[in-house]
Amino acid sequence: MSGAYKKVNRGVTLTLWERLYFPEVIRGVLIAAGHFVPNFVSVTKAYFGGKPSDRKIMTIYYPEEKPVLPEAYRGKPVLVRARDGRGKCVACGLCEVACPPKCISIVGGQREDGTRYPVTYVLNGAVCIFCGFCEEACPEEAIVMSDRYEGLCEYDRKPMVYDKEALLVPEEKLTRRLDYIRRRMYGKWNY
Amino acid sequence: MADIFPGPDIFPAGMLPSLVEMMAKIIFIFTMNMGVFAPLLGWVERKQSALMQDRIGANRADILGFTVFGLLHTLTDAIKLLTKEDFIPEGADRPLHYLAPFIAVVPALIAFAVIPFGGQYDLWGHKTNLVIADLDVGVLFVFAVASISTYGSVIAGWASNNNWSLLGGVRVAAQMLSYEVAMGLALVGIFMVYGTLRLTDIGVAQENFLHWGIFLQPLGFILFITCALAENKRTPFDIPEAESELIAGYFTEYSGLKFAMFWMAEFLEMVTISGVLVALFFGGWQIPFVSGAALARLFGFLGPNLAQVAVMLVHVAVFWAKILLWIFILMLIRWTLPRFRYDQVMKLGWKIILPLSLINILVTGLVMLLVK
Repeated sequence: MSGAYKKVNRGVTLTLWERLYFPEVIRGVLIAAGHFVPNFVSVTKAYFGGKPSDRKIMTIYYPEEKPVLPEAYRGKPVLVRARDGRGKCVACGLCEVACPPKCISIVGGQREDGTRYPVTYVLNGAVCIFCGFCEEACPEEAIVMSDRYEGLCEYDRKPMVYDKEALLVPEEKLTRRLDYIRRRMYGKWNY
Repeated sequence: MADIFPGPDIFPAGMLPSLVEMMAKIIFIFTMNMGVFAPLLGWVERKQSALMQDRIGANRADILGFTVFGLLHTLTDAIKLLTKEDFIPEGADRPLHYLAPFIAVVPALIAFAVIPFGGQYDLWGHKTNLVIADLDVGVLFVFAVASISTYGSVIAGWASNNNWSLLGGVRVAAQMLSYEVAMGLALVGIFMVYGTLRLTDIGVAQENFLHWGIFLQPLGFILFITCALAENKRTPFDIPEAESELIAGYFTEYSGLKFAMFWMAEFLEMVTISGVLVALFFGGWQIPFVSGAALARLFGFLGPNLAQVAVMLVHVAVFWAKILLWIFILMLIRWTLPRFRYDQVMKLGWKIILPLSLINILVTGLVMLLVK
C-alpha cells in the first residue's frame, strides 16, 4: 500500500531541538508561569487595598466597575440643553430625514422671539439603530450620541419611546462628546 | 490501664503511645488529603489557570460581600454536588456503576500511607516515625495501589452502558498499562542508587543536598514525571476523558457525589504523585544544607523533647511546602500543554520512555560499577 496515501506537507519543519519536545515543554511552561506570576502579584495587590487598575488583567468586574468608554462610543442619542435652559434643537427635521429606520418624528413650532423649537420631539428607542446619522446631520449640535448604555432595555415598548423631556441632557454633561464631534467629525467632512 | 483492660496481652505496655501516634498520623494525612487538598485544589485549578491565561477566574460567590478570592466557590460546588440527582442510566450495571467511584478514590487515599512526611523523632522516649506504614516495599505499594484505581475507571466505563464511557475506559486501560511499565522501570535507577525500596530510608539518604534524587537520577526524574502525568490522566495525557472527543470519557454517566469522587480521585492522585516525587527526588522532608541534627541544635534552647517537636514541625511544613510547589508545577503543565493524540501517547510510552528507562538503568549500573 506504499504510495497509496498522499503525504501532506504542513509547511512545518521542526529542528532537532524542537523535536526533542522536552525543552520546548519547559519553554512553554515558563511562558505560562511568566503570565501567572505578574498576574498573581497584581491581583493580590489590587485585592488588598489597591486600585482596580492595579490588576494587570483586562477583565472588568462589570456591575461594580464601569469601563471607561472611548469618546467615539455611540450610546443613547440625546438632545442638548443649552446653558440658558433651552434645547438647542431648531426643529429643522434633518435628523428625521437622515434617520435610516425613521425613529425620529418632530413637530416644529416658533417661540415669541422668533426662534424655532420642536413642540414635540419623539425618538423611538426600540427602533433606533444607534448609527449616529442624526448627530452627523444636525447643524446645531442639538442631538448627540451620549455614552449611556444602561437602562435602555425594557420589557415593554411604550417606555422606550422617548419624548423631549426624556431626551434633554444639559450641555455640561456632554462636553466630551461635543469636543469629539468638533475635532473629529467636522475635520473629517471638512466643514 | 490495667483496671480498664484486664487480661495479659490485650493492651501490652507501650502500645498506647503507638496507638495514639498511629491515629494521629492517619487523621493528619486524612485531613490533609480530604479536608484540605481535595476541596481546595478545585479552587487552585480555577484560579491558577485563570491567572495563567490573563483572566480573573471564579469570584462571584460571596457571603455578605466577602468573596475571599473566590474560595467560597468550593463551598457552592460542594452544595451543588450534594443536592444534585444521582443519575444511573438505563441499562447500566447498577452494582458496578455504584462501585466504580469508590474504587477510583480509595486507592488514591491509601497510596499516601507509605509516603513519609517527616523523619524519625525521639519524643519523650517514644520513637516517632512520621509515616503511616513503613513498608519495606514502599514504592511498589504505591504502584500496586495506583493500578487498582485504574479498575475504578475501567469499571466505570464498562458499567455506564454508554459508548463514550466504554471508549474512555478502554483508553484508560491501554494508557495505564503502557505507562505503568515505563514508570516502574524509570524508578529502578533510584532503587539502585539508594539500595532500598523503603521510602523512609530513601528520605534519610537524601539528607545531603547533592544526594537528592533529582541530581543522582535526572533522566529517571524526567521519565517518572512524564509517566506520573500519564497515570494522573490530566491534560497532556487526558485521552481517557478527552472532553472534545468523548464528552467526559469514563465518567460521562456520573453525576452528583459520584462525579465528585472521580474529580476528587484526580486531585488526590495529584497530591500522591507530588508526594512520591518529593519523597524520591526532592529530598522528602529534608531542607537543603540544613540537617536534622543542625536544626535540633538551633532549637536546643527548648530542651531536648520540645526541640525534637520543633524539628518535626519544620520538617512536616517543608514536606508540604514541597508538595504544594509540585502541585503548582503539575497544574502549570496541565494548563500549558495540549492533549496528545492517542497514537502519540502510545508511541511516547512504548517507543521513547520505555527504551530510555532501560538505557537509564544500564547507565546507572555502569556508573555505579565505575564509582565503586
